[in-house]
Amino acid sequence: MKKFNPRAMYTIAKKEFLDNIRNKWVILLTFLFVLIIVLFSYATGSGETFGDMETTVFGLLGISSILIPLIAIILGFSTISGEAESGALYVVLSYPVRRVEVLLGKLLGLGSVIIVSVFIGFGLGGVVIALTVGPESWVGYIAFIFLSIFLGFIYLSLSICISAFCKRRITSIGGGLLVFFWSMIYETIVTAIYFVTGGSIEDLMASIIPDWFYNSVVFSPSDLFQTTVYRAFGGSTIEAMGFSVTIPEFLSPINLIIFLIIWFLVPLVLAYIFFKKRDI
Amino acid sequence: MTVQGNPGEKIYINCSNCKKKGYFIIPSYKPVSDSVSIEINGLTKIYKDVRAVDNVSFNVRNGEIFGFLGPNGAGKTTTIKALLGLIHVNSGTIQINGFDMRKDSIEVKEKIGYLPEKVSFYENLTPVQTLNFFCELKGVDKTVVPSLIKEVGLEDAMYRKVGTFSKGMVQLLGIAQAMIGNPSIFILDEPTVGLDARWVRYIRQKIKVLNEHGATVIFSSHILSEVETLCNRVAIINKGKLIAEDTVANLNKYLHIKPRIEISIDGLNGKVPKVLENIDGVEVADAKGDILFVTCDTQVRSHIIAALEEAGFKVVNIKTIEPSLEDAFVKLIEGDT
Repeated sequence: MKKFNPRAMYTIAKKEFLDNIRNKWVILLTFLFVLIIVLFSYATGSGETFGDMETTVFGLLGISSILIPLIAIILGFSTISGEAESGALYVVLSYPVRRVEVLLGKLLGLGSVIIVSVFIGFGLGGVVIALTVGPESWVGYIAFIFLSIFLGFIYLSLSICISAFCKRRITSIGGGLLVFFWSMIYETIVTAIYFVTGGSIEDLMASIIPDWFYNSVVFSPSDLFQTTVYRAFGGSTIEAMGFSVTIPEFLSPINLIIFLIIWFLVPLVLAYIFFKKRDI
Repeated sequence: MTVQGNPGEKIYINCSNCKKKGYFIIPSYKPVSDSVSIEINGLTKIYKDVRAVDNVSFNVRNGEIFGFLGPNGAGKTTTIKALLGLIHVNSGTIQINGFDMRKDSIEVKEKIGYLPEKVSFYENLTPVQTLNFFCELKGVDKTVVPSLIKEVGLEDAMYRKVGTFSKGMVQLLGIAQAMIGNPSIFILDEPTVGLDARWVRYIRQKIKVLNEHGATVIFSSHILSEVETLCNRVAIINKGKLIAEDTVANLNKYLHIKPRIEISIDGLNGKVPKVLENIDGVEVADAKGDILFVTCDTQVRSHIIAALEEAGFKVVNIKTIEPSLEDAFVKLIEGDT
């Protein structure tokens, strides 16, 4: 019995990249991404009060934590369920290739599409920043790009997991939407819990926030990502929009990275289990 | 004229067109090989409460064309998917070339060409990119791709996205895909579905050619004439159960479906000669114009001819029509319900 075959994985990755780099939704979102980033980095970079790197990155954070998960979900949500339904997967799996190679190939190939998309967006943004702010903050900016790519891989891992679990394309659309909206409404849910459990608006305004409120970001990868970026740039205290918020000890940089890795690995392992057990 | 009969049977021919007379012996079926290529034993697959495939066992020999027949939903595709390890079976063993498909499938898959019933490719790739991908996956030289595309007549669509293809074109690309790397085993699930007459002919011809070059071909179909003309042996599946596995000729014998004889007689005028009533073994007799149709055992035929000629009828031509697989099929399924 032969061992894991990296060549087969690479072949799958290349095919996924070639097929999906021409996905019209991905092209559209990347274009939107570029547009917003260029406009935003130009606006903040040239202004007198918002000129610093931190503000630029924090501003881009909101955009990328919506658009990158969206691109990842579009790429991954039906990569297994859709192909099983159409019949493309029958052909592939009749070839000398293992399911683990197909799965990892898909992750790498679709991930490369995200990398290209992020580099196009942030690359052009970076040019504008370099022209307006100067190149001194590049290290931070590059770190931000890598974190954004990692965010893309987390959502890719989640959406591939959905596509491996769902029997049909239509049900995996539901799964993809659920994951996306979970990230979007998570803060609202946590805030609701805060008020229901006796939190007051005054405390919130005065930045007296219980630790659990902050720690709960571990349940939402996009919030986790945002916290990690804050932590990487702003230290343990964030001062923005008149608030001064101290991030609890629990969310130390190392813990944040660990949680991000868990969010990447657990869905991937589950995807492998679902895919392995699946009848195509 | 076409002559039909059981293997090994001697048939007297009196051709009205070329005026030739004489005996013709139907070639007898010889087993292609004794060695087994595909061996399925006690295969069972249960989906929820439905036994999609129920304790199915059969063998496919090296170098034969094996027909896999059954109505829609009988379990053909499920069996084929199990064969390729696409689904997990509840019980049973599958061996191809001696390899256990549940364990060592990678080695075997290098030698298999498969065309699924529902075939589909990647919509943003061109046929060239698609076949390049499959060549890489099989570890085969990509230089064969243009000739494969030409062979299935897709050279005009070489640089179009597969997403814009018609169903028939996708099917043809699927066939090109199955031929990558000169497989020694072809597994074709309904290969002629969705194709026009020209390509149906091409595929039937292709199956013969591949087989002549030594490949084992197993294909499923619900078109009986296709299976009948191409296959050495057939297996018939209904409601998940294998109900027959044999040669086409043996299947008919086993089912006691009698051949039909068409006897051309000058001046018959649609009347069934009375002499037939006295012959044992004549089941049905009917006349239309100058042709007399008789259903009977083959060995009774000479008695009929002799009796007719004795009674003064001028027999011009005799033609035996073997029961088709369709007859066998109908009878088997009726018996199964």
